[in-house]
This record gives sequence, C-alpha cells and structure tokens, in this order.
Amino acid sequence: MAKVFINKEKNNECLSGMETSPLTISSLTWFQALSPQLQELVSEGLQPFVGEIEEIRLRVKRPVLFRVGTKEMTVTAQKKFTLQLEQGYVITKEDLEKTVQILSQNSLYAWEDEFKNGYLTIPGGHRIGFVGRGVLEQGYLKTLKDLSGINYRIGRQILGCADDVLPYLVKREQIDHTLIISPPQCGKTTLLRDLVRQISTGIPELLFPGVNVGLVDERSEIAGMYQGEPQFQIGLRTDVLDACPKAQGMMMLIRSMSPGVIATDEIGKNEDVEALYHALQAGVKVITTVHGSSFEEIKARPNLQALINWRFFEKIIVLSRRKGVGTLEMILDGKNLEKLR
Amino acid sequence: MFKLLGAFCIVAGCSYLGLRIASIYRKRTELFRFLQNGLTLLETEINYTSTPLPLALERVGQKMHKDCQPLFIRAATVLQEKKGVTAAEAWAAGVRALGGEVPLTKEETELLYVFGHGLGGSAKEEQVKNIALTRKQLSLVEKVAEEEQVKNQKLWQYLGFSLGAVIVLILI
Repeated sequence: MAKVFINKEKNNECLSGMETSPLTISSLTWFQALSPQLQELVSEGLQPFVGEIEEIRLRVKRPVLFRVGTKEMTVTAQKKFTLQLEQGYVITKEDLEKTVQILSQNSLYAWEDEFKNGYLTIPGGHRIGFVGRGVLEQGYLKTLKDLSGINYRIGRQILGCADDVLPYLVKREQIDHTLIISPPQCGKTTLLRDLVRQISTGIPELLFPGVNVGLVDERSEIAGMYQGEPQFQIGLRTDVLDACPKAQGMMMLIRSMSPGVIATDEIGKNEDVEALYHALQAGVKVITTVHGSSFEEIKARPNLQALINWRFFEKIIVLSRRKGVGTLEMILDGKNLEKLR
Repeated sequence: MFKLLGAFCIVAGCSYLGLRIASIYRKRTELFRFLQNGLTLLETEINYTSTPLPLALERVGQKMHKDCQPLFIRAATVLQEKKGVTAAEAWAAGVRALGGEVPLTKEETELLYVFGHGLGGSAKEEQVKNIALTRKQLSLVEKVAEEEQVKNQKLWQYLGFSLGAVIVLILI
C-alpha cells in the first residue's frame, strides 16, 4: 500500500510561520534570491505553482527551466509559462552574474567554502547549487569561476509526513536503527527531517517522550541552517552539527552532546560505516538515508553490504516517486528482512 | 551705539568664518585617520568573521566617528535596500554622502571610488590586499592634509578676525 505525502499538509516554507498561506510569491525567500529581471518575468505566471515548484535551473545561453512535480516548464520573454522549452527566456551571462551578486550579498569572500563545495543555503533552508570552471590550488579545488549554471532547490517542510512510518520505528521508549533508501527527489530528506522533529519533541500518540537528537547535517539540507539558525522545525531536543563531515560529526556529537539518536543524510563512505559502529557501541540509535532505488541495489554495495549482513539496521524504509514524491514503497524488518508493510 | 554693534557683528562674523574654514583643515586630517581605522575594522569583519558586506559595513559604520559614518552607513543602506545594486555602486553612494559632510578633492574621491570597485567581488586574500593598499594611500593623503592643516589652520583663524577688523576700520 503506497502512501503519498506531498499533499498531506500545507507546505510550511519557513520556521515560525513567517510565510503563511496563501503563499504570495514575492514573500518567498527563494524568489527574493532571483535576479530582479527574472523576478519580473516570473512573478505573475509562477504564482499558481508556488506550492509545488521544486527546482529552478539557470544555464547560460539556454532557457530557464522550472520543475513543478514531474513536469518541466519555462517562461517566455513575454512572461508566459509554457511546456515548449525552446521558447523560453534564454539566460545570459549577466543574468548569472547578477544572481550570484544577490545570492552572495555582494560578498564573495563570505562564501568561499560554499563556492568550493558548489552550493550554499539561503534563508528558508533552500539550497542553491553552482557549476562553473574550477580554480585549482596544488591540485585541490579552491573555488569556481565563470559560473555557467545555477540550480535553486526549493526546500519544503511537510509536518507530519513521518506519521505513517513512526509506529514501525518506535517501540516503548526506544527508536530502531533505521535506514531510508530512496532515489534522488523522492523526499528522503523531508521524511528524515520530520522523523527528527517528532523523535526530538516527543510523540504523544505513541507515548514516546522525546529524546536528544544529534543531527549531522553535512550539506545543510536537513535543518537548512542559515547563519547558525535552523530554517526548518527540527524539534525541541535537536543539536545540529552543520556542514560537518558525517563520520567526524557523529563521533563529535557522541562525545559532546550525548544524544539518544543520531540522524544523518546519505551515508556511503567507509568512514561513515566505521562511525556507525562507534554509535552502536555508545548505545546511540542511528537514523540515516542512502541513495538507491531498491533494497537489492543497496545490498550489492560493498560498504553497505557489511552493515546489512551484520543486521545493523533494525528497520529499512524504501521510498519512490511512483505515486508522487514520498511514495512509501515498503518497510522491512532489518533483522529477518521480512516485509512489514 | 549702532556703529559699535555693527562693528562687533562684522568682526564676530568674519572670525567665525575664519574658524570654520580652519576647522575644515582639521576635520580633513581626522577624516583620513578615521577612514584608515574604518578600513581596519572592515578588514576584520571580512577576514576573520566573513561577515557579508551589508552587515559588515553597517557594523563598521556604527563604530565610527560621526564625520566618517555617512560613508559606511549610506553604503550599507543602499546594499540592503536596493536589489541588484553592486557593491561599487553602493560604496560610491557612500562616498558622495561623505563628500556632502567634509570637502574632498577629486583625487581623494577617485581613490575611494577605486577602492569600491574591488569591494566584495573576490576572495578574502584579494579583499585584504585591496584594503591594505587603500589604507596606505589614505595614510599618504592624511600626511598631505596634515601639512595643509599646519600651514592653513592658524592662518585662517587669524585671517577671519583680521579681515573683520579691516572691514570695520574701512567702514569707520
């Protein structure tokens, strides 16, 4: 039985209800981070899609693209939205330069690390990715120049999207080690964020009192930290280690904040697996995600294979986009690999 | 009686004018010293705390002497309020606001404009270099302004009074 959580609740764009419904496009932080010319082009036409827009892509000398659900559309120079992508407004180098100026607040020096990593987070928790020409120093990437593409990934919080999953993960006052398997764009970060929020705050329906959660947010996606403040609701008892390598961050959190649960996104490296062993020894529960379309695919990966064979994860959740973002494909018991749902 | 009052007014007015002109020389010297301090504060904001420019300029402005404040505060306001404006444009607006408070020569204005062109658009290293270079140039400008102050401050203080006295003598 598949569950789709896209329409479950109104999208809460930002913490503390700053942007309440009905959403007007000009009040949205990602809209304000577009260049004035683009703002003018899209301000009217984009309004009907404002709750569903997932990505905006600006690529030099190619039309601007908007991804709304599974559809891609563009806007013409006459401000009309169309599915005929070749008719779209063509992005110029100046558009990109102006956009970078706005995104960086005219302060490239303040975002050196972000440019090196290829993305930055803006207020509202949205992520902006970049590509361009790499500048190397002693063989290592120092920064990017001549930017040729910018991708706005609109972050969304769907409060309550973990409601269907939680009864499988919570038993008495304990949380299971959980692995969320999902292809990109299927809502695994959104699900993880809501799991963290509920586990941290407590779940009265399941008589779960709430525990300290340590969140290692290597790519600033889960909490959407902006200048030290979480842009999403992440719960009362959540400590965030922002932009910190996962393995190092997990060890640090165990030592410094004594969490009951550690949550992190997209594990896969050797050292991540090692950090999971340490968490286990410290008696800390782990909730994490991994890119993949099925359990079989994950089982075949060398690093994760060891974890699966060792029966580290007690519950395994598989997401897809079959019936929309966040379709819950199945929940497996990690011990005997029985399908629970 | 009226003559005496008139004479007093003329002497007082001319003396005041002389003192005002003399104080401009002093203000200019101080301004260039304050500007160097301001750039040092800006360097700290950029290099150590990576503060984005609008906030960095505002913070520096708040710490500055009031003669020097318009430059930083105006630039910060323009950056915060106008979408799509460049750092150079905002800084230039600040320089114009500063010019309204204290007279600046064309060369001095140009020096500040040139600094604005390099502001914000590069890595920390480059920013620090730009600030260091401008600070060096400002210290040279300060020396020239100081020499002018030594030369002209006293002169204008006396000249104002003397001019008033001469006018009174002629009129009497």
